[in-house]
Amino acid sequence: MNQYGMLVDLTKCIGCRGCQVACKQWNDMPAELTRNRGTYQNPPRLTSKTLTNIEFREVELKDKLAWVFVKRQCMHCEHPGCVAACTVGALQKRAEGPVVYDENRCIGCRYCMYACPFGVPTFEWDQTFALIKKCELCIDRVDAGMKPACAKTCPAGAIQFGDREELLLVAHERVYAKNSPYIKHIYGEEEIGGTSWLYLSSVPFEQIGFPTLPKETPVYLNDKVLHATPTIALGMALALSGVYWMVKRRNVIREYLAAENHEK
Amino acid sequence: MAQKIARTFIGEIKSFPAWLWVLIALTVFGLGVGVYRLAAGLGTTTNLNHGYPWGLWIGFDLFVVAFSGGAFTLATLVYVFQMHEFHAATRPTVLTGLLGYVSVLLILVMDLGRWDRFYHFMIFPNINSALFEVSWCIMLYTTVLISEFSPVFFQRLGWQRVLGIIKKITVPLVIIGTTLSTLHQSSLGSLFIVMSERLHPLWYTPLIPFFFFVSSVAAGLAMIIGGATISYWVFKRSLPQKVVGSFGWFLPWVLGFYAIVKLGELLIVEEIGLLLTANIYSALFWSELLIGCAIPIVMFMSKTVRHNRVWTLIGAMFVLFGIFLNRFDAAWFALKPVPGFEYTPHWMEIAIQFGVLSAMAVVYTLIGRYFPLFEETMHNGDADKVQVVASAPAE
Repeated sequence: MNQYGMLVDLTKCIGCRGCQVACKQWNDMPAELTRNRGTYQNPPRLTSKTLTNIEFREVELKDKLAWVFVKRQCMHCEHPGCVAACTVGALQKRAEGPVVYDENRCIGCRYCMYACPFGVPTFEWDQTFALIKKCELCIDRVDAGMKPACAKTCPAGAIQFGDREELLLVAHERVYAKNSPYIKHIYGEEEIGGTSWLYLSSVPFEQIGFPTLPKETPVYLNDKVLHATPTIALGMALALSGVYWMVKRRNVIREYLAAENHEK
Repeated sequence: MAQKIARTFIGEIKSFPAWLWVLIALTVFGLGVGVYRLAAGLGTTTNLNHGYPWGLWIGFDLFVVAFSGGAFTLATLVYVFQMHEFHAATRPTVLTGLLGYVSVLLILVMDLGRWDRFYHFMIFPNINSALFEVSWCIMLYTTVLISEFSPVFFQRLGWQRVLGIIKKITVPLVIIGTTLSTLHQSSLGSLFIVMSERLHPLWYTPLIPFFFFVSSVAAGLAMIIGGATISYWVFKRSLPQKVVGSFGWFLPWVLGFYAIVKLGELLIVEEIGLLLTANIYSALFWSELLIGCAIPIVMFMSKTVRHNRVWTLIGAMFVLFGIFLNRFDAAWFALKPVPGFEYTPHWMEIAIQFGVLSAMAVVYTLIGRYFPLFEETMHNGDADKVQVVASAPAE
């Protein structure tokens, strides 16, 4: 099955934060009370009330100061650590790509927050009965044949929704075109096993806050270790039973020999 | 009649030593703060935050589970390897283990955002989740520990038939218990496998489940020694030092094996250089190895140490400190910091943690006072005919 993908071209983003607003509107999330921190970036980061956030990054580009606007949200990994980690299976990877969340299952253990290499899942620290919040790629909209709210609203065409394979082709074309302004790296193509979100940039990704990640996902190892559970259990139970039987037998033989010696 | 009961009751309470009252006060205070935590939420009562979603409580959970490993270690030695010389230590050790697990379960509920849904792990399984496996094993193993400990109550009540049944199924019960312990001690380590980007490479290894298991055996042996020594002082009943010391005899083997595999793994994956860089991580790792492994290995190799009650206890404390540090490193200190976030525990987190631990100490003390915890000293619940068999020898 083809998987959905999102392609963000950071060179096209104008930092209007329309996606942030559209996301809040669609997901019915309140504004946050924040302080002026000397930047347009607001709120400062992803929270349980802000599922996507534009970061205002200041970098040097060709010896000039430049702004790079970085859209943050769940990357929708191909092999999501959060889905592997979730104690109660509240986080699931849909066949079409999105990593979705069932708030009726979640127990608020926060293991997903550690399992995510991007630090995406957020917790409702201000609630008595607190849950996890994260972008679900507007799965309700997508299921109804619409684009995710952020892609729909982006006036600069920086966010493209579509088939991941097709978006990758588009991305490759742009990156490897003549006089391409982009660095030769499509973030998300291979990171931690690949993500649904793909990023193009003219600035190295590590300079704008993207974690440098290996191609391998730890999820395979995790699953392998946990699937060994029945084997380990059976092996241990058999080994212990074996030891019990042998020691018992040894003691019987010892007593028998002792009695025999005594008779002599 | 009622008056007489009330008078006996008051008399008993009046006989409680001062330290027991301190523990009871801590328990009551912790309980109050705990109720407030459940009503007010994690944000207002803890300093946990987006950068440190887990903190003091998870560190203690990991440590207390390893510490409670004494219960399965001893049960295996006594019932599977049939080393009957250790038998007299089983009841106090199983009780310590059981209370350890109960404290972990209580704190885990405290730690959940939706604590009212704590049972969800039973109805919504995710077989790929280490925490799912841990939850099941801890629940089942706590049940096993309750069964293993139940003869103490049945003996007090004089229920001979039930006592007989439990006695018959003890060996299978112990084998199930040790199997469950192997699983969850190691899968507490498996928790970290998916955290490859968070946990420092000195701790992150595919072998981490194995290390958690082996170190829980060491922590368990140290716990048995600690328990036996403390009950010698508190209850004036314990094992002869010769037997306590022989638990120490196992420690150099277990710890040596642990340290060799640990260093060997770092050597093979070519991360051994991290040990030679001067930073907080190498300092923490060296502390674990030196205090938790090297010093106790040298100590317990000496017969003089093993024959001395105080030195044996000090050696066991080194082991426990090393494993305490190891678990806190994995759950807190050695996790890659998230920019903009810091964590030091809130006083309420500390109050709840120590409240729960105090509650367990109070329960232990009361069971020690009123139930045949040291079975050789009481028979068939007839508390009046105390036969002191395993009492501490006068030194």
